[in-house]
Amino acid sequence: MASAERTRLAHSLVLLLPAVLFGLLVSVQWRTQSDRNELTVRYNTPLLDAAKTLQNEQNTLKAQLADLRAELDQIQTSASTQSGSAKDLQVRIDELKLVAGLNERTGDGVIITLDDARGASAAKDIEKSICHNTDLTDIVNQAWRGGAEAIAVNDERIVGSSSIYCVGSTIMVNGTLMSPPFSVVVIGPQNDLLATYDDPTQLRDIKQRRDVYGLGFRVSRASGLRVPSYGGALNVKYATPR
Amino acid sequence: MRTNAGVIAVTVVALFLGVLAVTQIQAQDVYSRSLQLETPASLTTLIANLSERNNAIKDEILDLRHRADTAREAIASGKGSLTEAERQLGQLRVFAGMSAVSGPGITVRVEGTFDERALSDLVNELRNAGAEAIAVNTARVGPRSWFGATPDHALTVDSAAVRGPWQVRAVGATDVMYVAMTRTGGIIGQFQLIYKGTRFDVTRESALDLPALTTPLR
Repeated sequence: MASAERTRLAHSLVLLLPAVLFGLLVSVQWRTQSDRNELTVRYNTPLLDAAKTLQNEQNTLKAQLADLRAELDQIQTSASTQSGSAKDLQVRIDELKLVAGLNERTGDGVIITLDDARGASAAKDIEKSICHNTDLTDIVNQAWRGGAEAIAVNDERIVGSSSIYCVGSTIMVNGTLMSPPFSVVVIGPQNDLLATYDDPTQLRDIKQRRDVYGLGFRVSRASGLRVPSYGGALNVKYATPR
Repeated sequence: MRTNAGVIAVTVVALFLGVLAVTQIQAQDVYSRSLQLETPASLTTLIANLSERNNAIKDEILDLRHRADTAREAIASGKGSLTEAERQLGQLRVFAGMSAVSGPGITVRVEGTFDERALSDLVNELRNAGAEAIAVNTARVGPRSWFGATPDHALTVDSAAVRGPWQVRAVGATDVMYVAMTRTGGIIGQFQLIYKGTRFDVTRESALDLPALTTPLR
C-alpha cells in the first residue's frame, strides 16, 4: 500500500517540472500574442510589411554591392600588374580599406553582450531595464578607447559613417533593423579592452542598471573572432579632399 | 498500467513543450518582435530611414557599375586603370578621415556645460543625418575616434583635449543635417532640456574646411 502511494507520488513529481514549464511557456506565448493584438492597429500591418520588404531589399542590395566591390577589386588588382605606379596605388588602397572597415577582420578580443532585463526586476522600471541606442554608443566608444581595431554590432561593422539610431524600441545600426540581445564583437588587445570595461569610472549607468534592474551586460574574453566588412554605401558626395 | 499512463502523459506534455518552445523562438526572431510593437509614427520614421539607406546603396551600385565598365574599357585600350584607382583612393581617404576636406555643411556651437557622452551622441546623430566628415574644434573625428573628459572639464577626442566653447562642424547635405538637429524633439531640443544653462547654435555653412586626422590609424 505504502509502495503504491510512493509510486503515485513519484509520478506526480515527474510531471510537476514539465507542467510548470508548460504553464510558463503558455503564459509567455499568450502575453506575446495579447501585446500584438492590442497594439497592431489598422495602419500597422501595411507599414510593417513595408518595413520588412525594405529590410529584405537592403540585404539584397548589400549583397550586390559586395559583389561589385569584389569585381572592381579584381579589375584593379589585375591592372596593377601593368605598371609600378598602379601597384603603389593599389597597396595604398588596400591599406586604407583595412583601416576603414572595408575588409573582414579576424583575431582575438572581447565580446560584450547587452540584453533587456528579464524577470521580476525588469518590472521595477521599464526604461532602465531595456537596452537603449546610447548604451551601444557608450559600449562602442569604450571599445575604441581600449584600443579596438574592429567592431561589429550584431554583425554590422562599425565604420566612420556608422550611426546607432533608435526609433521607438527598434534600433538601427548602419540603417539595419535590429533588436536585443546585442552582441558587440571587438577585435583588439584583450587585456586593455577588459581593463577599460572593468574601470569603475566608465559605463557607470549601464553597470548600475545591471546591478539594480537586471539589465543584461557581460564582457568576456574571446579568441578567433570574426568581424565582417562594412556592407553599406561609402556616401562621399559633398566632401572633397583638399 | 499506471506507469504506462504516466509515460504517455509525460510524452504528450514534452511534445507540447517542444512545439511551444519552437513557436516562441520563431515569434522572437531578429527584429520582428519590436517592430510589431511600434506605433504607426515610429514605423513611418523607420521606413523613411530604410528607404534613404537603400537609395544610397542603389546610387553606389550604379556608380560602381559605371566605374567598373570605364576601368575595363581603359585597360582594354591599354590606358590602364590609374584614374579609377586614384578616384578610389581619394574616396577612401575621405571616408577614413585621412585627408583634409572641404564642403558644405553645418556647425553646431556649444557654449556651457557639456560632457563626452553628449558629444558622442551629437556625433552619432550627425552621422545618422549623413555627415561625411566631422571635426570638433580642430580635431577631426575618425572611424575609430573616442570621446573622453579631463578632470578640468575639457573634453577629449582621441586623448587630445578640446576646450569649450565647442564647434562641431560636419560636411554633408546641409538641409538634411540642419533639420535633423533642430527638429522638434530632436537632439538639440533634448540637450536644451538637459543642459539648461548651455547655449546651442546650429548654422548652415556653404563652405567648411576640416583637417585630416593627425594620428595614423593602426
